[in-house]
Amino acid sequence: MTKTEIIDKLKPIIATYAPASEALNNLNEATDFISDLKINSANLVDIVLDIEEEFGIEIDNASMEKMLTVEASIAIILAKIAQK
Amino acid sequence: MIGIDIVDLAAAAEASNWQRPGYLAKIFTPAEQAMISHAVNPNHAVWLFWSMKESAYKIHSRKLGIRNFAPTKLGCTLEAFTETMAAGRVTIDNCCYCCKSEINSNYVLTLAAPSAAQLLTIINISYCEPHWLANYHATQPKSVSHHGRYLALAY
Repeated sequence: MTKTEIIDKLKPIIATYAPASEALNNLNEATDFISDLKINSANLVDIVLDIEEEFGIEIDNASMEKMLTVEASIAIILAKIAQK
Repeated sequence: MIGIDIVDLAAAAEASNWQRPGYLAKIFTPAEQAMISHAVNPNHAVWLFWSMKESAYKIHSRKLGIRNFAPTKLGCTLEAFTETMAAGRVTIDNCCYCCKSEINSNYVLTLAAPSAAQLLTIINISYCEPHWLANYHATQPKSVSHHGRYLALAY
């Protein structure tokens, strides 16, 4: 799976929890969930759970710790897919 | 350094379903999950622990200059927990923060400080929309929390 394919799958998940914004419209690898998208930290857990379901992977707490940006999320998704 | 966190219970109920399978295990330690399931009011327990973690994290992240999302590394213990208040501690790495919380049907508000003595010196004030204090930054609060309809400031 390419990074672009992963971003396309992440977009609708992230949009569920992010208020409408310019940063959401221009979602890219550098986008930060909290500082750019203003996502409530309690909803970061929902994003992680939705990613687990969408990609059929399990994200341990040590990996979740780093998932504050799109780029970090892609790296973790690719690593977990490779472990499958 | 001090930390404040307010949870608007109506906004939390709308935005988060903590009963979703897998949700609690990503945020709470096994001991906290056991306290939640045995609590008289599990919803209050969930948002109490959450606000304790958030308020302690505000101090800890500033102190260490770190930023991460590791809520299970912040372990809460309680000395008191009633329908209207709670007192306890949050431990992360080798640091411990003292917390006290106010609980009512609208919100859970937690104050955190590195010591019980410092906790006693905090002055806090909360505003509910539409009666927010305009230009509150000018009052130089040491910690600020916004959630839903509420704005909470600590000095």
